[in-house]
Amino acid sequence: MWYNELVRISVERIKSLCRQRGNTLTGLLAAADVSRNAFYSLARRGTVLPRSLVAVCAQLGVRPGEVLTDDDRETEAMRSLLAEADAIAGRGKGMDRENVRHTLLLLREKPIDRLRRALVRAQKPDLR
Amino acid sequence: MRKNLIFAKGEIRFLRELARTKVDFMIVGLSAAALQGAPVVTQDVDLWFRDLDDPRIRKALRKVGAVFVPPMEDDPPVFAGNAVELFDIVTHMHGLGSFEEERRHAVRIPLGGFRLAVLPLERIIASKRTLGRPKDKLVLPVLADVQRTVKARSAKKRSFTAGAA
Repeated sequence: MWYNELVRISVERIKSLCRQRGNTLTGLLAAADVSRNAFYSLARRGTVLPRSLVAVCAQLGVRPGEVLTDDDRETEAMRSLLAEADAIAGRGKGMDRENVRHTLLLLREKPIDRLRRALVRAQKPDLR
Repeated sequence: MRKNLIFAKGEIRFLRELARTKVDFMIVGLSAAALQGAPVVTQDVDLWFRDLDDPRIRKALRKVGAVFVPPMEDDPPVFAGNAVELFDIVTHMHGLGSFEEERRHAVRIPLGGFRLAVLPLERIIASKRTLGRPKDKLVLPVLADVQRTVKARSAKKRSFTAGAA
């Protein structure tokens, strides 16, 4: 059934993300302390969701994604900020996405805290 | 020895006293850019006064146990005292108009229960372009990105407000 096929691991997507970060799947699994057997066992499954959740979604007639929520508000806020940074940097020719992202982060803070950050960075000793 | 919390009670008290007694001044330079959201590093907070002889400045200094050291030969005027060691006095902004002209376009930024006049990003950029020192050239692309980001953010807020109305 459709809801049983939805949430699968895309090995190609993971490999692509590894390449973007200058890593390999083998390197990633080693760093994450996940065995190849465990990884490919998960990747072969029809769904990585618990059977009970799939059953609940089937009863509701909804896709599992509709009942999943990210409780970490900071994560949500950061995703939203990154999307906004991408949008702004994408519109401005030659804009540095990191400058945009840092500015958006600082705009979330009170002006006094922005100033303190600027001053504190200048007071830090040179560790090189 | 430097305090653990940088730019804390003493510095805020001095600025509050200047604001309370309506001394005409602006925060300029990279600290002004930082207040407006720029991810920059600065060692001091530059203050530009309309009239350095304003007695209210000395009064504010006395309140925080600090003093005014007048210019001597090549030495510029400075403030002395723990509460004011992070402040630098600016007597002229390269590439900009007079204090009065620039003050008209200052942005008002809240800071610890009061508001201060701060030189807008575009004027900070104009001044740094004129100065053109290596350190100014390094920071200019960052300031330009900040300016565009702040504008985009303001436009987004405006469209949200218009949509909600």
